[in-house]
Amino acid sequence: MREHQYQTLTEDDTIALGARLAADWTRPSVVLLIGNLGAGKTTFAKGVAEGMGIARAEDVSSPTFPLIHEYGDTGELYHIDLYRLDTEAEVETLGLDDIFARPAVVLLEWAERFPRLLPEERVEVRIEAEADESRRITVTELP
Amino acid sequence: MALILGIESSCDETAAAIVAGEGEVLSSVVASQIETHGRYGGVVPELASREHLRAIVPVVREALTEAGVEWNALNAVAVTSGPGLVGSLLVGLTYAKAVCLVRGLPLIGINHIEGHIHAVILEARLAGSSLELPALALVASGGHTHLFEIMPKSGKMVYRLLGKTRDDAAGEAYDKVAKLLGFGYPGGPVLDLLAPFGEADAVRLPMAKMKGNAMDFSFSGLKTAMLRWSQSQDMAEEIAARRAVLKASPKPKLEQWLAVTPRATLNAVAAFQRVVVEELLRRVERAAEETEARSVIISGGVACNAGLRASAHSGRINCPVFFPTPHLSTDNAAMIAAAALPKYERGEFDDFTLKAQSNLTLA
Repeated sequence: MREHQYQTLTEDDTIALGARLAADWTRPSVVLLIGNLGAGKTTFAKGVAEGMGIARAEDVSSPTFPLIHEYGDTGELYHIDLYRLDTEAEVETLGLDDIFARPAVVLLEWAERFPRLLPEERVEVRIEAEADESRRITVTELP
Repeated sequence: MALILGIESSCDETAAAIVAGEGEVLSSVVASQIETHGRYGGVVPELASREHLRAIVPVVREALTEAGVEWNALNAVAVTSGPGLVGSLLVGLTYAKAVCLVRGLPLIGINHIEGHIHAVILEARLAGSSLELPALALVASGGHTHLFEIMPKSGKMVYRLLGKTRDDAAGEAYDKVAKLLGFGYPGGPVLDLLAPFGEADAVRLPMAKMKGNAMDFSFSGLKTAMLRWSQSQDMAEEIAARRAVLKASPKPKLEQWLAVTPRATLNAVAAFQRVVVEELLRRVERAAEETEARSVIISGGVACNAGLRASAHSGRINCPVFFPTPHLSTDNAAMIAAAALPKYERGEFDDFTLKAQSNLTLA
């Protein structure tokens, strides 16, 4: 297990960090974005999309309602949000295993509630709000 | 007179409708609204392709029966090809293709967002009111917040995207704030119901400051401000009371909500509603001034919002504003068939290579 800590002071900082970290992720990679409402999970996802060079930050929006946003011509990036799902049975119907197996970076919000459905090999990005825009971001590579 | 079967399965709803050539909706069936789900054993939401698969045949059959239309009377099949969940879209799309193949009917692929816009055009046409182009269209729902300019070009409608949300959709902000205040999920309509009982001036909430395109929307800052506000209050007791109300009856009435919602919370709800309405309508207002628009269309689930409707009709927008009736605001298939009518008239059909496109854009 490797762990790194970062502090970002602005939203743009958080986007830049997402872009920088994404450069190191091989595909397939499963990345959990963990944090409270408004912590900046989607902001971080904007950075990942920019860093991978497949979408502009302003074109990455919340996938809460549609559940899955797919980016890139061949689906290089998935941004998935399980916020409005309550049971494992519901999550299982999304076919996550199938998505995890693709040569893609898969970002997941609110997935830590369903540990049984996640691969052991994954990255966890914990985002905690400190002051207004300042965030403490802890990146853990599992196992 | 052409009869079009519309099919929608892009996200949570399996829906089918029959629309006639003049724009008359002969039937519009949405699986989650069928009184007895027992009829096809479905559960809601239909977010999984498996659920759409279970619902699609009975929903189409119901649409035909309600309309009193036989299979052989149909002239075309319209189906949502995106945006949405690929697995869900595929159910509607594959079903539509199968019907077209067997019946020898033309297939018409429709963008879900264009469907929302056509729901309004359809109803305006039926009511005999003149919805003139160029127009503006605000599509606001749980999953979308887009502002388009619509221009006529050789008998077609051409779309230009003026702005879209950079984070949460307007309906998503409503539902998440409702949840954090203990009104359940999705509770957007409850906030709209309660907003008139609070003083919006009593709670200060931020408007979004947009870098770059000023026509883009942002609601995550407002959502976070509501979270901070709720954390600054001692809300545990009232939230517990509201959860108890929700547990006792799945759809509490206004009086039941008012009984468990103190003034301070009503004020915050009123303030929240005002900011969302202002965020949406200020951009529409500005776009109406800056473009040649002669009408404004507001559609999508958020178009049901009474506060938004009242404000949009208050004379602040310098051209007529058109909303759909509530059952055509939320996801349905009549809007998909409606969007297909002009394509049918032009003979603009798709072949069987039509694909489900999760990130299909309109402009």
